[in-house]
Amino acid sequence: MATILPQGSSIFDKHVENEYVRFDKLSALVIDDISSMRHAIRTQLQSIGMNSVGVAVNAHEALELIGVNTYDVILCDYNLNKSSSGQHFLEYLRNENLLSGTTLFIMLTAETEYSFVANAVEFIPDDYLLKPCSETKLRSRLERLIDRRTYLIRVLKAMDIRRYDVAIHECNKLLATAADDRRRMDVLRRKAEAQLKLEDYTAVLDTYARAATIRADAPWILLGMARAHYALGDSPQASSLASELIDKNKNYVAAYELLAKVRLEADDEEGAFDLLLRSSVILPSAKRLRSVAQAAFLLGRLDEAKANAEAAIQLSTGSMVERSGDYLSLAQTLVDMGDHKSAISTLEKNARKHGDEGIFGVAKGAILAQAYFDAGEREKAKKLMDRSISLLASRKNSFVMTALGKAALKVGDVILGLKLLTKAIQCSGKDEMRIARHVKKSMVDTGQKDKVEDVIDGGRKRILLLVDEATKLMRTAHFEEANQMVVEALDIQEENIETLMTAAQLHLLWLKHEGLDDKIMARAKTYLSMLDKLVPNNQKVMNFYRFFNEIASK
Amino acid sequence: MEKTLSALVVHDIKNALALLEIDLEQLIHREDAPTEGIRAYRRCVDLKSRLISFLTLYKYDQSGLQPLTQEVVLLEFIEDLVRHSQSGMAPESHHGHKITVSIDYEKMQMGRMATAWLDENLVELAMESALNNAIRYAHHRVDVWVEQTPDALILNVQDDGVGVGVVGALMQRNIPDQSSSTGLGLALCKAVAEAHGRGEVRLESISGGGTLFSMTLRSAS
Repeated sequence: MATILPQGSSIFDKHVENEYVRFDKLSALVIDDISSMRHAIRTQLQSIGMNSVGVAVNAHEALELIGVNTYDVILCDYNLNKSSSGQHFLEYLRNENLLSGTTLFIMLTAETEYSFVANAVEFIPDDYLLKPCSETKLRSRLERLIDRRTYLIRVLKAMDIRRYDVAIHECNKLLATAADDRRRMDVLRRKAEAQLKLEDYTAVLDTYARAATIRADAPWILLGMARAHYALGDSPQASSLASELIDKNKNYVAAYELLAKVRLEADDEEGAFDLLLRSSVILPSAKRLRSVAQAAFLLGRLDEAKANAEAAIQLSTGSMVERSGDYLSLAQTLVDMGDHKSAISTLEKNARKHGDEGIFGVAKGAILAQAYFDAGEREKAKKLMDRSISLLASRKNSFVMTALGKAALKVGDVILGLKLLTKAIQCSGKDEMRIARHVKKSMVDTGQKDKVEDVIDGGRKRILLLVDEATKLMRTAHFEEANQMVVEALDIQEENIETLMTAAQLHLLWLKHEGLDDKIMARAKTYLSMLDKLVPNNQKVMNFYRFFNEIASK
Repeated sequence: MEKTLSALVVHDIKNALALLEIDLEQLIHREDAPTEGIRAYRRCVDLKSRLISFLTLYKYDQSGLQPLTQEVVLLEFIEDLVRHSQSGMAPESHHGHKITVSIDYEKMQMGRMATAWLDENLVELAMESALNNAIRYAHHRVDVWVEQTPDALILNVQDDGVGVGVVGALMQRNIPDQSSSTGLGLALCKAVAEAHGRGEVRLESISGGGTLFSMTLRSAS
């Protein structure tokens, strides 16, 4: 066979690095539902020199293997089966952090589908190969990819163990010596990813700006910049970059999703819904259909909520993205549509396999209670609701509390209903905006519109008032009275940081002024440990601790 | 229904061809691989590549091609292309002559680590078909080289055959006759060039015999 290495042409003769790839040290996994294809690809890989090649028929099988092995290369067919594609699988693996950064993920596609798929998504594989391809082609593509990976290996390994600082340091070392723009881009991309993990958005923007001097219109640069601007609170800039991305490629789903977030923050619920809907039409996944269903539900567009919740169930049933919560959303939508019959059959028949256990059972009871109430079976509704409330006990699940609150309001127990909805808001944490919208809808639906503001406020005004009062009393050494205020505030919301800070400070002062008292000391300790859990490494809390130790050691 | 059915059948045939290719590939890896086996492998590769060209063109007609551009190291790309054209055995013209395919490093105009933004799969498909076509009509040799300018990338394939005037006047028409494999290949190249932003494909006779194929990609630099 003729050699193609240049002879006597000195400027090219250094280009032999691919010769050193050792395939016998590498492991691979082939995922394809057609058995002949799966085995043919395995034969090719073995013929290239790979000794360890696994095969999987579908995503489920692949997932099990990925759980116990770290593969160097995964070759995945785009058309896994009717309901789930290689792209869904890749998104799942990346979302759940199941894929090591050192694993090369190669998507095998047919020529008729790949450019559409490839351009539309955020989670791109390391490469696309037109299937089926010859062994020589497979070999040369793998050689190049492995060469690229080897170049970045220190960065990738640091990212794998979440040492993002180390990853950035390694990136800088590579950038100082990078031989060409392609390598420089590879490194800059990883560097931005690491900085994003550290939430250092200003640095992220710097890195992207540097990458943009090499190639200004790479989609990942635009998306990354848009996200960093969004995180920095510059929504207009984020929007304009995301729109630019969509202008360039109307199938770029990640840009639609970012725009939807911006619209939602600007209270443009309809606009956000339209964007989510478009992204789910371009690339339907259970996750996207779920968010569309939820947005439609909150807008009161119940037909669309129902259709999308059903689609999410259909798409995910039997796959790894199946969620019992989909049945709850669908059933709640059906109840709100007045179709209590279907709601009951959804929960009692279709969702039977998910049982009555745990938090799912509590939520199921709450929604069934509403449905049975509508069906005129008030006794049964009351029973279901009481059971759910008793099981709810110490669980702090906002979604479930919202469903239960709605059930209580429906059954006519207004006080319990409002209390549950207020609790739902209070323990919603990062999800506050979304839960607030659910609560608002539940109240409007059950004729409690006039109290929405109070409930959404979650007792915040009252807490502020009490804490303010407690602070004043504490300064004038009225410790007992101040404590009553704090206890009342904590009764409204037990994990309120501001209240806990005041409580801790009050008890420390108390100890200092009135001497050591076991009860006060124990309470001080409890507040401090709660704070330590809620806001770890907080300077103020550290100072409190130091102060406490000083007093205690006397 | 009819459309879905034909799509299924074509897909099926393509996969079957690919499996056949892989089987034959294993066969020719053996020391004692018969010449007939190698020939069958070549036929199979050619048939599959024609089918894929056809499907790609069909896609282009129906909805256009949307290139997925990635940064490609040009030298790697060209070297792989030439290497693939020689897998199994030295390529043969349709007269049965052994043809040497090589990169003309003298004519290369680009930096050592020069890169270009292009859809590797599409451009590879187009160049393979141009290369196969050149091999078919060559006497002894086929040369490949790349020229990179600030606003274009030109991929060249030259054979030492009798020239376009004799073998393929039809190829210069705007709408190539897609029933011949040459016409199909050229139509594919045009589609791929267009997908890379106002690109073009030229086929011209050169003085002293032979044909020069050149594909210009404008958005690839």
